[in-house]
This record gives sequence, C-alpha cells and structure tokens, in this order.
Amino acid sequence: MPTISLTQSLVISLIQCVLVVVFIFVVVPLTVFAERKVLGYLQQRLGSTRIAGHLGGLTGLLNRGMWKLGKVPVLSYWRGLPGLVGDVMKMLLKEDILPTKADKFVFWIAPALSFVASVVVFATICFVPGTFFTFPTWVPFLGGLPVSGGIADVNVGLLWILGMATVGVYGIVLAGWASNSKYPLLGGLRSAAQMVSYEVPLTLSLLAPVLISGSLKFSEMSQAMAVGVPLWAIIPQVIGFLIYLTCGFAETNRVPFDMPEAENELVAGFHTEYSGMKFGFFYLAEYVNMTVVSAMAAGFFLGGSWLLPFGLQGVVNPYLASLPSWLVTLLCEPHAAFFAIKIVFLLFVFIWVRGTIPRYRYDQIMAVAWKYLIPLTLVNLVLAAAVRLAM
Amino acid sequence: MKKFLKTLIPFDIAKGLSITGTYFAKVFLTANRAKVKQHVVSEYPEVPAPLEPRFRGRVQLILDEAGDPKCVCCNACAKACPTGVITIEGGKKEGRKTRIPTRWDYEMERCVFCGFCVEACSFDAIKLNSQFELAAYDREDFSLGLTGAHNVLEPSPVGKFSYSDEA
Ligand code: SF4
Ligand code: SF4
Repeated sequence: MPTISLTQSLVISLIQCVLVVVFIFVVVPLTVFAERKVLGYLQQRLGSTRIAGHLGGLTGLLNRGMWKLGKVPVLSYWRGLPGLVGDVMKMLLKEDILPTKADKFVFWIAPALSFVASVVVFATICFVPGTFFTFPTWVPFLGGLPVSGGIADVNVGLLWILGMATVGVYGIVLAGWASNSKYPLLGGLRSAAQMVSYEVPLTLSLLAPVLISGSLKFSEMSQAMAVGVPLWAIIPQVIGFLIYLTCGFAETNRVPFDMPEAENELVAGFHTEYSGMKFGFFYLAEYVNMTVVSAMAAGFFLGGSWLLPFGLQGVVNPYLASLPSWLVTLLCEPHAAFFAIKIVFLLFVFIWVRGTIPRYRYDQIMAVAWKYLIPLTLVNLVLAAAVRLAM
Repeated sequence: MKKFLKTLIPFDIAKGLSITGTYFAKVFLTANRAKVKQHVVSEYPEVPAPLEPRFRGRVQLILDEAGDPKCVCCNACAKACPTGVITIEGGKKEGRKTRIPTRWDYEMERCVFCGFCVEACSFDAIKLNSQFELAAYDREDFSLGLTGAHNVLEPSPVGKFSYSDEA
C-alpha cells in the first residue's frame, strides 16, 4: 500500500464527505417524493400525479406531459416529480418570518442544530468494510490510493452516533422554547419526554450487537453481526431489530409516534412558528434522521453490506464457497449497493408504517416505552449475553 | 396473560401492514394502466367521469323531426320551477298546429337542477342533459335563450364555458 501524505488523506476525506452528502441529498428528496406516492398506493390512491397551476402555460404543459407519461409502464411512477422542484423553490423563496417575541439567536440556531446533528452522524457510518474503491493510477495526485467505506470509522462510532442523535433533540426542544408560543413549547416538551424515554430502549437494543460483536466500531459491528455469529444468534437479532425499529420511529418523530407535531392537538408542534428554509431544515432533518436510523438498522441487524440479513450470511457462506468465483464475489462479499438497498427498503418500511398505523395516545406511547420495550430489551440483552457466552 | 401476549406480539400491526401492503402491491404493479383499476381515485379531467343514467345536468329542449322544439308553450314547466328561472313566450309558425316558443329563457345561475320542469312537461319537450362542466367567469354566460352560442337547444359548448380563457 502506498504511503499517504496528510494532504492526500485530507483530500480523500473531502471526497468521501462529498459522496456521502450526495447520497443524502439524492435519497432524502426522493424519500419525500416516494412518501407521497407510496402513501397513496398504500391507501388505493395514486399519490401526486400532477402539479397545481393553470391549464395553460408551463404547468399545463407539464401536467399534460405527465398524463402521457402515465401510459408508459415505468415512467408512470414518476408523475408528480416536478412538484418536488416546486416544493424546494417554495421553501427557498418563502418569506422567513421571525416572531416578535422569539429569542432570535436560539430561534435561528435550532433548525441548524437539528439538521447538522442528523447529518454528521453519517461520519461514522461505514457503507462497506475496508476499501470502497481505489483510484486508478492515471488520476493526478490521488492515483492508486484506496478510499475506505466510511469517512471516519472511529473506534467509538456507536457512541458518536447515539450522542449526536441526542443533540438532535436539542434542536426540537430549543425550537419549541425559542418560538415563545404555547403550541411549539408543548410540542418541544413532549418531544423531550418522548425522546428521553425512547433513548433508553434504543440504546439497550443496540447493546445486544455491541455485546455480541465486542466492539463499538461501526464496520466491525456490522461485520461481526453479518458473518461472525452462529445461526441461533438470529433470535436476539430479530427481536432487537423490531425493538430498534420501533424506537427508531419514536426517535425520528414519525407516525405512529409523531407526538411533537400532533396536528390535531398542537397545530404543527415545535415548528409551528417556522417558515421558509428554517422549516425546511427541520423537514430535511426528519428525513436525514430516517436515513440514519435505517442505516443503523441495516448495519447492525440486516447484515450491513452483506446480502443476507440477521447473520445468515455467515451461516451460508461455507456452503456457497463451491460456486463459480464471480458468484462468490457477488453473494459472499460485502457491497455498498446491498447496504444502500437495505436503507431504501427500511425507508419504505417507515412510509409503510405511516400509511397503516394511526398515532398513539401520549400515555400509550410512554406505556409502550417503559412497560414493554425496556423489559423486552433487557430480556433480549440476556439472550445476547447467552449467545456471546456460547460463541 | 392473553392481553399481555397480544400487546407483546403485534399481530394487529402485522395484519394492518399486510392489508396496506397488498393495496400497495396491487396499485404499484398496475399503476394507472390496468383494465381493471386497483385504485379508487379517478383522474377526472383526463379520464371522463362516469355518469349515472339519471344524472340531472343542464336544461335542454328536445327537438322534433323538423328540427323545431317540441315545446308547445303551455308554461307548465315555468310554473313548476321552484326558482322561477324559465320564461316562455309563445308564437305561431306556418304549418305547425301547436304554438312554438319565440322566447324560451333559462337563467342557469339560479337553477337548482331539481328536474321538476321535466316532470311537469306532458309533451316530452324538455330534458336535463348530462353536462356538468358548466362553470363560467361571466354572469351573462348563464342566461340561455333560443339564440346565441350558448342556447337551450344544444348542449353547452364545452371548453369555452367550463375552462378558463387561458387554456
Ligand atoms: S331543474 Fe328545477 S330549477 Fe332548474 S329549470 Fe327545471 S324546475 Fe327550474
Ligand atoms: S312544460 Fe314542456 S311543453 Fe310546456 S312550456 Fe315547458 S317545455 Fe314547453
């Protein structure tokens, strides 16, 4: 391996950051769009198929074009996509209202905090263990150098992720407080209580992978959980996955746990007073958070960048060794594509659940967390300990 | 114990997810191309809305073989109309035994599309047609007579009156 100078490693890190940001900003808007379509399909509707406007002019042209697209098999799913551009334009151009009695600095910092905290989590998420790709030798300055699968796959990656996820709560609580209005405040406080409650089972459910893999590093954990466990370790993995997903819904304030923004009770919750791009940051942060939760669930429980979920890959790998070598490379080795596909599937599950389950009552949410999830995670932790003992 | 197990193992959630998942698969796989529609919404302006046979649209006069209105100006419809939007004046025409309307005014803006006028007519001279895209920007467009582009003898010209001028 060629030695890397400091400048070169910095440039490589920068490239990784750009790749991750591109990934986020491709996946997040598509999730926003997919949410409309999938929610529609789940309820026997068609989702957004046209955009508002006059019958003539640009909107009329677009709408007629999209109607024609609807006849073409694959293209018909993309009707309504121009509405997304309209959404972005609206957020960027809309007047940014600052309530007179709001705490200006905190009001300004809250959406940034919420958004930044959700994006920086990606620093430690490792898309594929080891090398993602190597620069060809003809590339100037960086030729022949490997690019690893994560920006900073540090040894305490999981702590970083959980810590940063908690900072995201500040964004919501501060937004509620700084707005100086009763509905945002109630929304923010509910959010604080809910997130503090669900932080406990979330962390406990992640302790099982930590226990089994004996590491806090994202890539090591995902590798150990995917290929390093015996078959019967599937039990704590499946239970842990379901619990983690439930807590993930609560942590990202998604239906059925969207208490901070329960529209029928709190207007819009913590972001009632926000408009324009400040609201846009909250909106983006929610979807980035969804992606983070999906990435973690995919990495720790669904086998990360390996093909099969729940540690089954490690069980079947010896049987597959006799296959042709290209098949072995495809099926038995980690690929970033598998990881991305799992993330996308979990994002679909987020929307699927939203289209199915109505919002819980507040006391039910608390009861679910404290009376069911926490004892369940503790039982799961004991199971994981047993697996670890027998390994 | 049973309740505890039911809460612990989310059967109901799984059931709900399977129902919505089935809907998703059906609509996703057929989108809007299938002969038998899987989705319940209609795409109205592009796909014409299905109408029931008894749909009550706009008042229209029925013509006889000679192309004249069958109306004999008995005024029964005008009397039956609860909102009084019909005004009829009768006249004579060579070779026709009955009277023929020289004026048959219909103020659509106040018509409630109740169909009483049709029931009152003993001569089968009037009907409610199947038009419903009747919105217009001008009050004058709702005053229908025997002459003009928008009259009681023919269906309303669709597009001119139901769509804005920019189209
Ligand atoms: S439909 Fe009813 S309101 Fe309209 S003209 Fe006939 S009787 Fe009058
Ligand atoms: S009831 Fe029939 S025949 Fe009599 S005036 Fe009305 S449309 Fe004419």
